[in-house]
This record gives sequence, C-alpha cells and structure tokens, in this order.
Amino acid sequence: MGKPKFYDFCVHAIPDGDNTVEQLAALARHFRYSGIALANHSDKLPQSRPLITSLEGFEIFRGIELVEENPSKLHGLIGKYRKSVDVLIVHGGSEAVNRAALENPRVDILNHPAFDKSSGLNQVLAKAAAENDVAIGLTLRPFLHSRGSRRIRLLSDLRANLDLARKYDVSLVLSSDAMSCFDLRSPMETLALAEVCGLEEDEALEAISTAPEKILSRNSPGPGYIREGVEVLEEGDYF
Amino acid sequence: MKRLLPSLRAKKRYLAFELISEEPVSRSDLVREVMSSASSLLGDVTASECDIKVLGFEDRKGIIQCSHKKVKETRASLAALTRVNGRRATLYILGTSGTVKRATEKFIQNRTAFEPENKVKPGTSEECRQNKTQ
Repeated sequence: MGKPKFYDFCVHAIPDGDNTVEQLAALARHFRYSGIALANHSDKLPQSRPLITSLEGFEIFRGIELVEENPSKLHGLIGKYRKSVDVLIVHGGSEAVNRAALENPRVDILNHPAFDKSSGLNQVLAKAAAENDVAIGLTLRPFLHSRGSRRIRLLSDLRANLDLARKYDVSLVLSSDAMSCFDLRSPMETLALAEVCGLEEDEALEAISTAPEKILSRNSPGPGYIREGVEVLEEGDYF
Repeated sequence: MKRLLPSLRAKKRYLAFELISEEPVSRSDLVREVMSSASSLLGDVTASECDIKVLGFEDRKGIIQCSHKKVKETRASLAALTRVNGRRATLYILGTSGTVKRATEKFIQNRTAFEPENKVKPGTSEECRQNKTQ
C-alpha cells in the first residue's frame, strides 16, 4: 500500500467564501491534498463552473452543500442536484433536516447536525445513517474559530456523535469547511487535531482518506457497475 | 560546567514550519499566539508537558521545538492557530526532525517557495519580493 491520499470534501469558494477556486486549490495542493470538493452552500452557488478541474496530481470535485429547512423541499433539491455533483452534503441543524438527510441514501455527508441542546444524532438516526451509508461530517472550522465554552460544547457533541458512530458503524468524513485559504489545514495537522479531540488514529485516517474515496467510487461507478453490490469484474465467455 | 551527554539530554523534536498570513508578522506576536492556542486547546498542564518553544522565525519560515513524546499534541495546537495579531494566518508544518541542523537542511533551505499562483492574496508585496529573489 502506498501513501494514503487525502481529500478535503467541504471547501467554500467565492461567492460563498472569500477566495477563488484557483487560490484554494493551489494552497490545498501545496498542503499535499490529493483533491478537494468544492461545496458551496446551495443558496450561494457560483455563476459559472470552475475552469480547472484537475491540476497535476490534484483533483477538484464538484460538490454542493444543501441548505433547506423543509424536508420535502430538501428531497426535491437532492434529486435536482444529485446527477450533476460528485459529493452531496446536507447542512443539518434541526431534527427534521437531519432525519431527512440520513434517511435518504442519495446523500453522501451530513454536516453540522448539532442543534440547541442535542448533538444532532441519536440511536435511531445513527442506525438510519448506517443503513443508507450517509457519512457524518466532522468540520474543522467551528473548532478553530471558537474557544472556551463554545469549543467545549462542540467537543462534547463530537464525542457523543463519535460514540454513536462507533456503535452503529457509521462512517465519518473529516473536512475543513473552509471559508477562506486561512481555514485550510494540512492533512497531518488535521489528523493530529482529530486525534487530540478523541478519534483513534485509524479512524481519523479513514475519515480523511478512505471514506472520501469510497464516496467518490460510489458516485462514479466503473464500466461493469450494474447496481449496488452487483458488478461485472471480468467479462468472458463462460459457455 | 560540563555539558550533558547527548544520551542524557531531554529528547526533543524540531518542527519546521511555514506561516501563511495576510500580513507579515513578528516573532513575538507569533510566540504569543502559539502559546495561547496551546494552552486553550490542551490546557496549561499538557501544554507545559509539550515544552513548546519558537526557536527562530524569519521570512515566514521557522522552527519550533517540542518534547519528542508530545509531537502530536504540539501539531494539533499549532493547527488550532487561526489569527496572529488579529490577522488571519495558518501554520503549515513542513516536517519534523530530531536536530535543528537536519530540520533546517531538509525542510527550510532549498525549499521551493510559493509559486505565483499559490498566492493567498493577489499582489501582496511580500510575494513579489520573494519571487524576485528567486
């Protein structure tokens, strides 16, 4: 096995964030990421598609972070954007939205599930997430930009979600949720931060490299793909 | 006083780093931010075990010393740094080594600096100066 590939699956460019796609991509590449997914919030989509999609040894994936309060409208948006993006993220934050996202197998990641006094997940939702293969997004930006009581709150929510994820075998995805270049952190730093915050070394590594790869391969099936779980690996004349 | 044998000295790791910031920052500002971010993330007790010291910092690159058992914690606390002197900044660790000499040779000298398209803010004087000296 070679070096693991690292991905950052939630980066916001202009007009959502502060920097252009090119700047973010250049910095991410400098930090030795293998790819980023541009996931602007659905209410702030760029006018045109980015010109570059891949630099040497670096890929930029199309993503979107859906922001919608109404679950039935959310399902509509998922259907609308699913075909055109590689990574579909839902911006959680209420019981109804979290539930809608985790029960829809076409969603890849649920970000920011926490609300009021809850960590956002419970046993029922964690089970649904595992069944539908929706990952829980762990985002760095809130951790970096808060201190004291707010960060303590975020960490305890993270611990609660982590326990549920371990119990029900829900996959996790680490991302920066960067609004500008200065929110990006290199993979090694992200891993160290995740480990200090309570993840195990292999969990953190999976969350930044294997889990994103899995999402990508699921959304761009190979030529022999028939349906989930059924794939033609080798064609031949068997008779 | 006779110097301690290398095998008897406390073991250290040296982290070579690059600071990407909106505006040039001074060493003393950086030291203050590193310490405050470490104590806020890890708490004063663990931060003291890390034994973090900023050894040198010039031209946006420098070396930080830490205990060899606490490299992970140190990395995490450096990653948690978001602002220096009120200006946004991010600290990127180029590599770790057991000696200052090796860290400097391997990671700081002869390192290709930011290419023009890697600019964080277009047209900052810092970048132009750096490109000219290349």
